[in-house]
Amino acid sequence: MRRLKDPMLLVLFASVAVLMPAANYMVFLYAPDEKVMGAAQRIFYFHVPCAVVAFLSTFVMLAGSIGYLWTRRRVFDNLSRSGTELALLFCSLVLVTGPIWAKPAWGVWWTWEARLTTTLLLGLLLAGCLMVRRYAESPEQGARLAAVLGIVAALDVPIIYKAVDWWRGQHPVVFGPGKKDPLAPEMRQTFLFSLLVFALLYGLLLALRMRVADHEDRVRDLGESMAGRGGAAA
Amino acid sequence: MKSYSFLFWAYNVVWIGIAAYVAFLFLRLRSLDGRLDRLERRIERGAGEGQSSSRS
Repeated sequence: MRRLKDPMLLVLFASVAVLMPAANYMVFLYAPDEKVMGAAQRIFYFHVPCAVVAFLSTFVMLAGSIGYLWTRRRVFDNLSRSGTELALLFCSLVLVTGPIWAKPAWGVWWTWEARLTTTLLLGLLLAGCLMVRRYAESPEQGARLAAVLGIVAALDVPIIYKAVDWWRGQHPVVFGPGKKDPLAPEMRQTFLFSLLVFALLYGLLLALRMRVADHEDRVRDLGESMAGRGGAAA
Repeated sequence: MKSYSFLFWAYNVVWIGIAAYVAFLFLRLRSLDGRLDRLERRIERGAGEGQSSSRS
C-alpha cells in the first residue's frame, strides 16, 4: 500500500508494536494477583483503558462535530466520523469486558446499574450517529445530523463519570478526587503503562481512519469531477 | 482456575475486536487505493486524448 508511507503512522505503529508486548508482560506477569478477585481483576488493566479511550474518542467526535457545524469543512466531518467509529469500537469492548469482569465479581453478567446503563446509552447513541449518516438523503445532511447527535452523545460522558456518585451504583470507583489510591505500586504502574499503550493504539487507529476518510473524499471528488466533465461534454 | 477463564475471554474479546477493526480499515484502504488508481488513470488517459485531438 504505497499511500501508507507516512512517518507519523510508522512511528505510532512502531511504538505500539514495541510497547504492547511489554504492557501484556506487565498485565500477566508483573502485576500481583488481587486478593479477593484473583486473576479476573487483571481485566481491569484493559477494561479501564478501553473506557478512557472511548471517552477520549467521544471528545474527538465532539470537537469534529462542533467544528463541522461551525465551518462546514469536510476535515471536521472526517474527524467526527472517525471519532464516532472508534468511540463505538472501544465502548463496545467496555460493554463486553465489563460483564466478563462482573460475573466473577458480582455473580451476575449485567445489572441495570447507573454507570452500566449510561454506558450502554452512549453505545446506542454512537451507533445512531453512524446510522443517520447511512440513511440520510445526502452526505451533507448525514454529516449535519450526525454532528448534532454526536454533541448529544458527548453530553452522556460526564453523566457516566458522575453516575456512581449521583445514583450510588455498585460499580467500583478506583480513582477520583478525594479517593485514597487502593492499588499496590506494581498494579498502579501496570495500569498507567497499559493506559499509555492504549492511548498510542488509539492515535494509530485514528490516524489510519482519517487516512481512509481522506481517500473516500478523494474518490468522491474525482468521481464527481469526471461526472461533471462527462456532463459538460454531453 | 475459573477466574483465569474470565480473564482469557476478556483478553481475547479485546484483541479480536481491535484486530477485526484494523483488518476492516486495511481492506477498505486497499479497495480505495485501487479505485483512486483507476480514476487517476482514466483522468490521465482522458487528458492525453484531449491533447492529441487538439493537436490534430
